[in-house]
Amino acid sequence: MMINDMTPVQRDRLREQQTKYNRPSFWIQVALVVVLILVPLVPSFRVMDMVAKIMIFTVVVASYDLILGYTGLLSFAHAMFFGIGAYSVALLCYHSSSPQWYHLILAVVAALTLSVILALVLAFFSLRTKAIFFAMLSLALADFFHILGMTWSDLTLGEDGITFSLPGILNVEWSGVNLLGVHFTPRVMTYYLILVAAVFLFMGLLRFVRSPVGRVLKSIRDNEQRSTALGYKTFRYQIYSIVFGSSIASLGGILFAVWLRFVDPESVLGVFSMVDYLLMVIIGGLGTLYGSIIGATFFMATQAWLPDLLKGIAAFFPDYEIIHRIAERWMAFLGLMFIVAIMVFPKGVVGTVREIIDRRKASGAG
Amino acid sequence: MTSDAASVEIDMESGFNTKTWAIRIASIGIWFLPLIWIDPTTYIVLTIAGLAFGMLLFMVAAGMTIIFGLMDVLNMAHGALFALGAYSGGYWILNLLEKFGWVEYGTAVQSFGSLLLAIFAGALAGALLGIVVERVIIRGVYGDHLKQIMITMGVLYVMTEVTKIIWGASPEVVLVPMMFQGSYDIFDVIVGKFRVVALIVGLAMFAGIQLVLMKTKLGLIVRAGVENREGVQAAGYNINRIFTGVFTVGAALAGVGGTMWCIFQEQVYPEIGLENIIFAMIVVIIGGLGSVTGSFLGAIIVGLSFNYVAFLLPKLAMGVNILIMATILLIRPWGLMGKE
Repeated sequence: MMINDMTPVQRDRLREQQTKYNRPSFWIQVALVVVLILVPLVPSFRVMDMVAKIMIFTVVVASYDLILGYTGLLSFAHAMFFGIGAYSVALLCYHSSSPQWYHLILAVVAALTLSVILALVLAFFSLRTKAIFFAMLSLALADFFHILGMTWSDLTLGEDGITFSLPGILNVEWSGVNLLGVHFTPRVMTYYLILVAAVFLFMGLLRFVRSPVGRVLKSIRDNEQRSTALGYKTFRYQIYSIVFGSSIASLGGILFAVWLRFVDPESVLGVFSMVDYLLMVIIGGLGTLYGSIIGATFFMATQAWLPDLLKGIAAFFPDYEIIHRIAERWMAFLGLMFIVAIMVFPKGVVGTVREIIDRRKASGAG
Repeated sequence: MTSDAASVEIDMESGFNTKTWAIRIASIGIWFLPLIWIDPTTYIVLTIAGLAFGMLLFMVAAGMTIIFGLMDVLNMAHGALFALGAYSGGYWILNLLEKFGWVEYGTAVQSFGSLLLAIFAGALAGALLGIVVERVIIRGVYGDHLKQIMITMGVLYVMTEVTKIIWGASPEVVLVPMMFQGSYDIFDVIVGKFRVVALIVGLAMFAGIQLVLMKTKLGLIVRAGVENREGVQAAGYNINRIFTGVFTVGAALAGVGGTMWCIFQEQVYPEIGLENIIFAMIVVIIGGLGSVTGSFLGAIIVGLSFNYVAFLLPKLAMGVNILIMATILLIRPWGLMGKE
């Protein structure tokens, strides 16, 4: 087939395939994965813990970006899907006396089934009218699950949360193995499990937004009337996006629970954690997917250092009690950061960088 | 135009429509359904409690729905105004007055005085924060629903933390004025005294809002603004000033709601704002965005069903509200009284 006979999309795809290995972004990705593989060599648990959480939240935030940035729907239920994943692992491993591998698989199946059903119900009820109904309904549903997690204490142990153990080489009692002079502890094995899963899921998301469905989603977001006029069923495509994004969020929740071996309602189901997700998405850049890496890294780093920083500042003013109290509430600063980011930095890091590159290209060409 | 609409309405009223009547009877009859599981005395107690609860919900939802109707702003920060009203009116002022012996063991006049002062303080606190929020935060995001919801959610989050800085993170006890402690016992039906107060305040608020909206010039402008914002602007009214005014009034109503709520619950805690914004949102959706009467009905529906279900199946109380909301959205996606 000659180049001239192709549709623009086919030409685009051909060019993409031809230049796949020549672009710097591809090699940046390879380098990033290599660095992630080498992280457990650093003899500090804090570093590995942070990198693992960054990977998990990159996936979760990227899936949120799919719904918010690519589809233009504001969901407050993303934390709920995350929590459903986390709780499905925790409950299955806790309530079976000795967890086996099939429990993990069962947890994945259960989490996916439940999140697909809930996402479908949510979309079905809210998308028939205005888009803001989706935000409101998802908030109400998320709150219901949060309350359920807190009050259904026979099952979820309520506010105390669940501590559980994992099967096989992920179990803390496994003695580990020495390979090439490196000691592989159960923690390191869990880290690699998360690494593989996170890379796989992130690539799945990239594939999704570049697929024909992803292109239609972007066109719906940018001009719904035109896409409808072209014959695309808005409703159906929005449902694809919500179901896919929410399922990935629940898988992210599974990874989170596997890493911490502990879940409680506040950390995985809390409605206010949506503000954290939103902050990560906005800082990274809406509708960019790669922004979620930057957003998650920024957030985790801030979360790790901000409390110490504030305490350090407060230590200079030992006589003022109010400063100490403010320093204790470091989350308020995250919220303020979020408000300021929406007001003055709505494109995020990746969005701004892309804009600068585009402008350079335009001025270079013209 | 108006005469047309009126005549259509008359036609609908005079024609005996079996379907509408069936719906009306069913919608009234459904409230007697809990009698199957609950004995009549408890039922009456629960109903009165539910009505009082509904009035409290209405106080929050009213401001939210007016602000949405006129300004097209979905204001999640309404919960923050509510919480601030609760802390400054219900907690701070009543504790202050307690030092003068007005609250817990005061005379009737002192009890009424302290309640009025608390309500006033709550309204004032809500209004002041409301002006700041409208001027600084919301003014920048008019017309963009997603940004509005995100940014006002951020405000609610920050204010929850600020509340923790000022008043501490743990729940605090809220004092109840002497006059409103305890309950009336009418033929074994036990009615909390403060529930009656909540009912009266809620009804007064509803009547007041309706009176202002329907009988004054300001209400006329606001109603016109809901219908057609550009038209009002073209008629020479400064829409920005009206927006700020309406937002402030809505914020003050939220503050009053917060004050009443925390005295009713006899405690206050930082997450009170988030909890109630979700309730208010459900009420507003059920009633139809922008309709005050709709919110009033929605609040009563939510209040009653929440109380019945909380008595029968405590864990599912929140779920039943979502269920009602989903059902109503399925039948009438624009809410009970909302516009299509």
